[in-house]
Amino acid sequence: MSDNYEPNIVAFLCNWCSYAGADLAGTSRVQYPANIQVIRVMCSGRVNPLYVMNALQQGADGVLVSGCHPGDCHYMEGNFYARRRLGMLKDLMEFVGVDPKRFHMSWVSASEGHKWKEVVEKTVEDAREAGPFEGFRRRQIDW
Amino acid sequence: MTEKPKIGVYVCHCGINISATVDVETVADYALKLPNVEVARTYSYMCSDPGQSLIKNDIREHGLNRVIVASCSPRMHEPTFRKAIKEAGINPYYLEMANIREQCSWVHHDIDEGTAKSKKLVAASVAKVRLLEALESKEVDAEPSALVIGAGIAGIQAALDIADAGFKVYLVEKTPSVGGRMAQLDKTFPTLDCSACILTPKMVDCASHPNIELLSYSEVEEIGGYIGNFDIKVRKKARYVDFDKCTGCGDCAAECRVKDRFPSEFDMGMGKRSAVYLPFPQAVPAKYTIDPESCLYLTKGKCGKGPKCAEVCQAGAINFDQVDETVEFRVGAVIVATGFDPFDASRKPEYGYSDYPNVITGMEMERLVSASGPTGGKIKIFNGKEEIEPKEVAFIKCVGSRDESVGNEYCSRVCCMYVAKQAHLLRDKLPDANIRVYYMDVRAFGKGFEEFYDRVRRENVRYIRGNPSEIFKRGDKLVVKVEDTLTATPLEDEVDLVVLGVGLEPRADMRQTMELLRLSQSPDRFFLEAHPKLRPVDTATDGVFLAGCCQGPKDIPDTVAQAKGAASSAMIPLARGKVVISAQVATVDESTCRGCGFCVNICPYTAIELVTVNRFGHEVEVARVNEALCKGCGSCSPGCLSDSIQPKSFRDRQILPQIAALGVFK
Amino acid sequence: MDLEQLRKTAAEVVARDDVKYLIGWKKGSYGYRVAPVFVEDAAGVAELIFSPLCTANLTTYLTLVEKTPLPRGQEADKRKVALMVKGCDSRAVVQLLVEKGIHREEVIVIGCPCPGVVDQSLLVEKYGDTEEPVEVKWNGDGFMLVRGGEEIKIPRDEVLAEKCRLCRYPNPVISDHLIGAEVEKWSPAEDSGVSELDAKDVDGRWEYWEEQFNKCIRCYSCRNVCPLCYCQDCILDRLNPTWINRAVNFSENTAFNISRAFHLAGRCIECGECERVCPANIPLGKINRKMAREVREKYGFEPGLDPEAEPFQASFKPDDPEDFIL
Repeated sequence: MSDNYEPNIVAFLCNWCSYAGADLAGTSRVQYPANIQVIRVMCSGRVNPLYVMNALQQGADGVLVSGCHPGDCHYMEGNFYARRRLGMLKDLMEFVGVDPKRFHMSWVSASEGHKWKEVVEKTVEDAREAGPFEGFRRRQIDW
Repeated sequence: MTEKPKIGVYVCHCGINISATVDVETVADYALKLPNVEVARTYSYMCSDPGQSLIKNDIREHGLNRVIVASCSPRMHEPTFRKAIKEAGINPYYLEMANIREQCSWVHHDIDEGTAKSKKLVAASVAKVRLLEALESKEVDAEPSALVIGAGIAGIQAALDIADAGFKVYLVEKTPSVGGRMAQLDKTFPTLDCSACILTPKMVDCASHPNIELLSYSEVEEIGGYIGNFDIKVRKKARYVDFDKCTGCGDCAAECRVKDRFPSEFDMGMGKRSAVYLPFPQAVPAKYTIDPESCLYLTKGKCGKGPKCAEVCQAGAINFDQVDETVEFRVGAVIVATGFDPFDASRKPEYGYSDYPNVITGMEMERLVSASGPTGGKIKIFNGKEEIEPKEVAFIKCVGSRDESVGNEYCSRVCCMYVAKQAHLLRDKLPDANIRVYYMDVRAFGKGFEEFYDRVRRENVRYIRGNPSEIFKRGDKLVVKVEDTLTATPLEDEVDLVVLGVGLEPRADMRQTMELLRLSQSPDRFFLEAHPKLRPVDTATDGVFLAGCCQGPKDIPDTVAQAKGAASSAMIPLARGKVVISAQVATVDESTCRGCGFCVNICPYTAIELVTVNRFGHEVEVARVNEALCKGCGSCSPGCLSDSIQPKSFRDRQILPQIAALGVFK
Repeated sequence: MDLEQLRKTAAEVVARDDVKYLIGWKKGSYGYRVAPVFVEDAAGVAELIFSPLCTANLTTYLTLVEKTPLPRGQEADKRKVALMVKGCDSRAVVQLLVEKGIHREEVIVIGCPCPGVVDQSLLVEKYGDTEEPVEVKWNGDGFMLVRGGEEIKIPRDEVLAEKCRLCRYPNPVISDHLIGAEVEKWSPAEDSGVSELDAKDVDGRWEYWEEQFNKCIRCYSCRNVCPLCYCQDCILDRLNPTWINRAVNFSENTAFNISRAFHLAGRCIECGECERVCPANIPLGKINRKMAREVREKYGFEPGLDPEAEPFQASFKPDDPEDFIL
């Protein structure tokens, strides 16, 4: 691992809490690492756990999924489903030997701009420790 | 989707908000090299009129059919740009926004980093926008009528408002009379006007209003459909009294063979009623009802030589052959106003409510002090030997509220004031009695409340800070064991009468209503509103609104205010006559669906059902989405193993390319 | 095993007008082989057997039934299918009921309490393969191999399939006809056979599975034999979107196996068929059993026991574990 290695993070954020929280971090001019790219979904319950696998396969070194705190889901229950599904996925990937540092899940509300920064920093730091995930990369075929 | 995507990418400077840390020209140049991108431009303020015109002109000139705006958060300007591209003639859902301000330029200082990240975000947007689909939001007709469940003050007020606006209202009440809890109260705090005097006119109004169909002694059995079109089934319970013939004269009750043998629900069991009864003299409708659980004829099949009531009824209204009847109708909106239950004081056994007759609850005190109550408003108690006027009276507050041991952490909001009011009423009736109130805190937050509390204290009602630990009997006295926490003095206070300021609880039968309407509970077990601040009368189910104490404890003015709020919210679809159904909903590929029903289980809005379809001669079940109920959250989709159910605009085939785009450009 | 009772019951069942056929096991064409058989009339019941060689989970045929397009006007055959099941197989039936893959009135379950089946590869390894007709029977605590008139006693642990060593439900959890008496449960190892792997660090496990998944030839036998992999259109076969590329390489192989294991989490009933049929000998059972154990221990859920249960993947509890959340 070279010293200037920068991990690539893909994050899935629910529209109502975490995406709004990340927006708030922006409005408050909170600074955090630029390694993270966000994909907006309506609800964390929309995140298919296989997206996590897919992202790691397609070039991400770490993945983050973030939703509303339990009980605060805009759709009432979506984050509960997300928690169960992604908890299972985390166990599965760990058993297969994927470093648990590569995948995190968090609850970030629309008012938690600073928590968002902390979550990003932790995710980036952990992915940095885990290093590039070249072993699992999808082989790109040049047509 | 045969047309080839032609994408325009618009990178906003946002003054210097973006351009200070993102090299927007580089981003635009980069975008131009991405597949299907025809035009890429930058502009100082994309959201401004000239900015929007720039996009519109390009759509017309270059025949663009997809637009990406790289600027601020879609939570900010997505509607703006949707509208703009629609005006230029392309489907508003052919828009994707790359958030390079809130989630890029404002949070990263380094211009190289900001530019690199912006490129990736734009690339991901390009990957997605190519695969977006055109969507249309639909409108369906809304039935111009409403259902109000519960005819306490909340339900009555909501029904009257909607009816006055000219819409039909079905007002369903479980008990034989409208009026609810407010009808049981004597005076109301802090103004001390007589509860019945202000309520009865409204009760009469709602029974006689041409737009209100009052279904008393009835229960909602089934609710199907969705906003604008709820299909309702109501069961009208048999009264065994012909509603049209009964004149309300009361001869039947007077002659009933089990006359005045049963505890009156209205008088909190302190008064008695017959098997055939009117709950209280001002009941609306003024029609008698035979209680099937106490009537001799209905329980034993025999009542002397024949039921006396039938014999004496000159109108011939008694009809033991009556059966429950089902009424069906359709409404556009539903208001839930099912009220509360007073806390059951026997759940605090240390206060001896079940053991000592002179430990009573606040609701019982209301009836005792009421001129129309079982004692005609006289405060008389039996001390074991004789009937006396109590000399020593103690009130205890927060019984069943702010008490984790009974599972109620919340404050019931009305007990502080009703206890103050009852202390005042007692002071009027018993000028020489010693009255004290044991309290944890006094919360006199409403209009005129603090002033009233001060007045009561000046009337020689002693407030002692302490939460009694026990009540026991000593001779013919009750002893309240308590520590005065302001002076740290343990007390054993001998009194004649204890009034427990019981709190408010969710109704015991609320689960039934919850299931009917797909409602949720908040942690305090009352119904959950859609948003605690901004949508306090709405629920997660569109077209269903909350009014009164079913949503949480509140006093009469707050209840009326919420009822009026719920009424006016409910009238929005009724007045428009149409409801808009969101375009971003889930959709099922019925050819691959295996009918496992996982999505049906998952959907919090019961928007999905299994239907039987014929697949080449075989009957198979597949999922189908009711677009009017679906909110487009997409939680169903990851639960679908065959990937058959997909939220539009957030399909797997739209998101996976986004993931790929973010990875490849590492 | 009471073969007579089995055949008598089977004859009664297939004689019914509302029964299409009975799916059971019969002796295969040679050696240790056992084949599935579809018995349509009383004449066929003589072929039925139940022995330690009956490893296959026949439940998979319930959903493999082709619903081929019917000519206009032709009615679908709605008669019931009867099915022989061991304890583990019966859980697949229950799970299918939960998932509406089948309906209760469509099946007649013939339950066979099972003292444990043999791992044929171990049998071959220890006693050699053969083309002669042989018989393997349960014999007291172990097995008995009858070959050319010779009776060989085999200790149970020597050839018992791993899934049976770890079995927690040897008796059918659902049945319309129970053949013979229920067998006494044994105590399975609590580690679900994965403690060795669990003990490795994460890189060690990656190395282990790298070696395993590199062997995968993507024949999809594991998917095809699985009674719970019954989507008519599997996401792994899709082109739009493409979840997994068709290329056979470590990345896609791993993604394929992770996807399948994830789809089975909280659904797998541990019949071990995937592992048995894998031509590359990938220990797939380890992944599925590991997930089953996680679901059991962390979420208190076991699939395939209660036909009325809410499907694990389509439900949640407010107090589901969330110690992994930041």
